[in-house]
Amino acid sequence: MNVTQDLSILHLILQASAVVQVVMALLAGISFMSWYYIFMKWFSVRQARNKTETFERDFWSGGDLNNMYNSAVNDRHHAGSMERIFEAGFREFTKLKGQKNLDPKDIVDGSRRAMRATYQREMDALESHLAFLASVGSVSPYIGLFGTVWGIMHAFRGLSNVGQATLASVAPGIAEALVATAIGLFAAIPAVLAYNRFAHDIDRLATRYESFMEEFSNILQRQMR
Amino acid sequence: MILDKPDEPGKKYALAFTLLVHVGLVAALFLGVQWKRSQPQVMEVELWSAQPSQATYVPPPPPPPEPVVQPEPKPIPKVEPKPDPLPAHKPDIVVKEEKKKPEPKKPEPKPEPKKVEPPKPEVKPPPKFDFDKELAKETNQLKSSAKATASAQHMANAAAAEAEQRASSNKRGLADYASKIRGKVRGNIVLPPSLQGNPEAIFAVDQLPSGEVLDVRLKRSSGNPALDNAIERAIRKSSPLPKPDDPAMFRRDLEIKYKPFEE
Repeated sequence: MNVTQDLSILHLILQASAVVQVVMALLAGISFMSWYYIFMKWFSVRQARNKTETFERDFWSGGDLNNMYNSAVNDRHHAGSMERIFEAGFREFTKLKGQKNLDPKDIVDGSRRAMRATYQREMDALESHLAFLASVGSVSPYIGLFGTVWGIMHAFRGLSNVGQATLASVAPGIAEALVATAIGLFAAIPAVLAYNRFAHDIDRLATRYESFMEEFSNILQRQMR
Repeated sequence: MILDKPDEPGKKYALAFTLLVHVGLVAALFLGVQWKRSQPQVMEVELWSAQPSQATYVPPPPPPPEPVVQPEPKPIPKVEPKPDPLPAHKPDIVVKEEKKKPEPKKPEPKPEPKKVEPPKPEVKPPPKFDFDKELAKETNQLKSSAKATASAQHMANAAAAEAEQRASSNKRGLADYASKIRGKVRGNIVLPPSLQGNPEAIFAVDQLPSGEVLDVRLKRSSGNPALDNAIERAIRKSSPLPKPDDPAMFRRDLEIKYKPFEE
């Protein structure tokens, strides 16, 4: 058995057995998807944070609530999550306030429920695709490992056909197989890092939204008197 | 309450960055993982029944010209001793070099020509018998002086000399290495009884840096399968192959030529 002299990456991929090639293609696709979501989440989380900061600044600078509500309704496409929470709560509040025979406590509770519903929806939108990143991070090393194990099995089966067992006759097969693990790790490591980072960022945003909801409820309650 | 969900921001940017990352990865892989094994220089080790070093070491004969010069210097026997101190150092090197080269039989051939030639001057001017000894001394001095002049010339173009020395030591190291391997393999060979003629077989041998034989491939058969097998067995049996004195001399690929008898 002649040793292949050329071990470029292309050679390694093309020489690999079919199963290993399928695994590598799968992992390449997963890696592509996960990087796409990483960038998308990165942009959206950054944007959500920026918008939250601008809205908080506007809100606590003591503007008129009605003006703020109007601008939020008119400019719905550019509104951030917190602005939408505010909008939902205030809309419910004005609606309930128009009805005469309602307990002030019920009015505040109603607007709080509306805010919570919007909050859930917003969190759902922010957290979308995070589960994908988490599963890529945990599973793709195993997929790569499967490809590697399969490739090494293949290499050793080839070894049994050679009378003289030399390192040179197994080495290329093992190198081919290890490419699968490399791709798996390349997909997994950024996915895990990004998942942890985004989960943390979104948690912080969630606490900000929740505390805003509480504070806004207090403001509404004061408005009742 | 239906809120139209705003678009996820920067989908296009995300796609572009993703492509960028993967193109970068692929480029890094292609450029970084070039495990191209350059075909290393093949060292040839020829196996002969007898040491071929003598045959290769024909150059020494040039010294013989010296005796021809002998007749002239006779009148100046006492002027020459002066160069002695200098030669005393330089001949050392020359002697060492000669020692390193495996030529135990050369000293013998040299004296003979000298003996043949001295008689000629003796016939022409039949001097005293004591002169024989003096002659011998003179010849020695002459030799050393000739070497001294030669080394002086070497000193003159020192750089060239150094280069030559390096080259020669390199060659010598290679020859040493080859002869080591040759010796070890030859010690392990068992020649098949039915050997006719003097067929040559060529083997390509891969070795590890430790000298362990990885693979032996028959490059050109000798035409006698039994002999081929015997040689291959011998090469494998001498498995850790001797290492060269200079690690730089090491080659992973050896080409071993084997001829059962010297031509």
